[in-house]
Amino acid sequence: MSQQPNDGTPLLEVRALQARIDDKAILKGLDLTVMPGEVHAIMGPNGSGKSTFAGVLAGRDRAEVTGGSATLDGKDLLAMAPEERAVAGLFLGFQYPVEIPGVGNMYFLRTALNAQRRARGEEELDAVDFLGLAKEKMKLVEMDPAFMNRGVNEGFSGGEKKRNEVLQMAVLEPRLSILDEIDSGLDIDALRVVARGVEALRSPDRATLLVTHYQRLLEYIVPDKIHVMAGGRIVRTGGRELALELEKKGYAWVEP
Amino acid sequence: MNEAARSLLAGAESLPSAPEFVASVRRAGREAFEREGLPTTRQEDWRFTSLAPLAAHSFGRGDPAEQVTPAELERVAGKSFGPRLVFVNGRFDAGLSTAHGLPAGVHASSLHHAIAVSPALVERSLARTVAVGGRPFAALNGAFLGDGAFVHVDAAARGGPVELVFATVARDRPAACHPRVLVVADAGGEATLVETYVAIGEHPALTNAVTEVSLGDGARLDHYQVQDQPASAFHHATLAVLQGKGTRLSSHSTALGGALSRSDVLARLAGEGAETHLAGLYMADGGRLVDNHSVIEHAGPGGTSRELFKGILDGESRGVFAGRIRVLEGAVKTDAHQSNSNLLLSRDAIVDSMPQLEIYTDEVKAGHGGTVGELDADALFYLRSRGIPAAAARGLLIYAFAREMVDRVAVPALRDRLGRLVAGRLPGGVAILEGA
Repeated sequence: MSQQPNDGTPLLEVRALQARIDDKAILKGLDLTVMPGEVHAIMGPNGSGKSTFAGVLAGRDRAEVTGGSATLDGKDLLAMAPEERAVAGLFLGFQYPVEIPGVGNMYFLRTALNAQRRARGEEELDAVDFLGLAKEKMKLVEMDPAFMNRGVNEGFSGGEKKRNEVLQMAVLEPRLSILDEIDSGLDIDALRVVARGVEALRSPDRATLLVTHYQRLLEYIVPDKIHVMAGGRIVRTGGRELALELEKKGYAWVEP
Repeated sequence: MNEAARSLLAGAESLPSAPEFVASVRRAGREAFEREGLPTTRQEDWRFTSLAPLAAHSFGRGDPAEQVTPAELERVAGKSFGPRLVFVNGRFDAGLSTAHGLPAGVHASSLHHAIAVSPALVERSLARTVAVGGRPFAALNGAFLGDGAFVHVDAAARGGPVELVFATVARDRPAACHPRVLVVADAGGEATLVETYVAIGEHPALTNAVTEVSLGDGARLDHYQVQDQPASAFHHATLAVLQGKGTRLSSHSTALGGALSRSDVLARLAGEGAETHLAGLYMADGGRLVDNHSVIEHAGPGGTSRELFKGILDGESRGVFAGRIRVLEGAVKTDAHQSNSNLLLSRDAIVDSMPQLEIYTDEVKAGHGGTVGELDADALFYLRSRGIPAAAARGLLIYAFAREMVDRVAVPALRDRLGRLVAGRLPGGVAILEGA
């Protein structure tokens, strides 16, 4: 990925974003700005629209965008196909990674990396070079190489699936990683691995958006900003103290 | 008989003379076809499979003197991976064939040759497994009985695959060919047989094959059929199997081309403890139709049958699956299961899937299953979200559905070929195989 000059352009800028699923409005005018180099966390109760927001940014068509804008590096995200968003540098870590028997994990990851490189006019990695890269990243996420020969997420435990998400993130090196409930169902060891993966990508030209229900993850990854989402909007923004307040009081006080 | 049926039968009366047991098969076939003609959709077995597109052509008998060059054959049938017998419009072509490397105990020749040198052996098994009444295509095949392949598997036979390639050539006009394969396995013999069906030429080709298999007690046959013809071709294959005690038949079919492609499998598990495994993969797009009918008849006790058919249907294509399992009186402790799953890639593709269980005895385990579905939208989004373009992502998922059928092929070179043929029809092409 080419280095972007930090000229004050937000990496992600979301303005008045609205979206609905069927006839139900889920996002009701959401604003968010993430600058390069930052780690943000979006917290909120179930049903606040957090996952819909993550999906809308990545191009999932379950929700229909009805208003507002979202740009990545100033480019209109909402006009792009999901694969184009990935090429532009967006990565979504899934809350529920999909099992795809019959498609090899290793092949899938190499195909994805090379599709992105090709679309950016970069040279593709051959099988040998890719294997070297994958091995290095597998070490980072403490993943058993045997998993690479299985189908994508096939028969993986919840924790292994999340590790696989972080592995993909580490290999694809996105500009903006959106991790949707990456911490759900993880034990302390796995949380540590996820945190290490996020830290390894931290750089002045990248950013991370953590979407989570619990503040536990934030003991391992310290965000620059925390947003509280409720009723399809960001209702409060603050620092670490906001997470602790949520931990103490629960979400009842932010309900719209 | 209508005009189309009459043209199909033209030439049946002027075949070269043959021994009486061959002539009587021809006569019986001709008479049955004259009586019944081409089936219509009013007949239960043809309810969803209209032969109107076939009847629109006037098929003459494909010229057995037609010549095919080795390069031409390789283009449609691929390279050989062992001994290969090639038949051009039904005629054995020694020049295109390589008999070298036949496994010990497996004797493969043209049927014409076998009739001349071992008439008693051929007579004992010919036309014993399939009745022509109610099966007009088998009748038509009988009416033209002359050449094709004879494979004799003796008791000591083991080992590698033998491939039979049938090329129907229609260069100047629509042409029909009715090849017959006769497989006789003596008690305890084991063999692997691959039938490859291709067509050459600009005009529609009709291939109407009948394969008869008799398995003596304890014999095993690994059998494959690959139909890779142009989209203009018509294909009908009848596979009739008679299984003795403790026999094992595994038959794997792949139907890739053809405007209309139909397979009828009739397996009779006569002896105790016989085992039948049928597997089929079919792909169609455009307005093509692919039909798999099977009847598995458990006549002896303790038999096992397994059927797995998978279809991939795009465009306005139509898939038909009718699998009948009959468990006759006395076939106690039968264990039968069948499954038919279909992947519909377009809203206009249709599949009619009809499992049928007929059970006339107690102590039977029998069941069926299967699915009809579209590509998994979540899986598609997952792949695309990683940067894989939509078309390539679809290709990966379609191959993932088909893969199990390719992986079942026990002959490595054939497995590779099938993988390439299947993946080659998908967006993303054969590169998909690197991940398989």
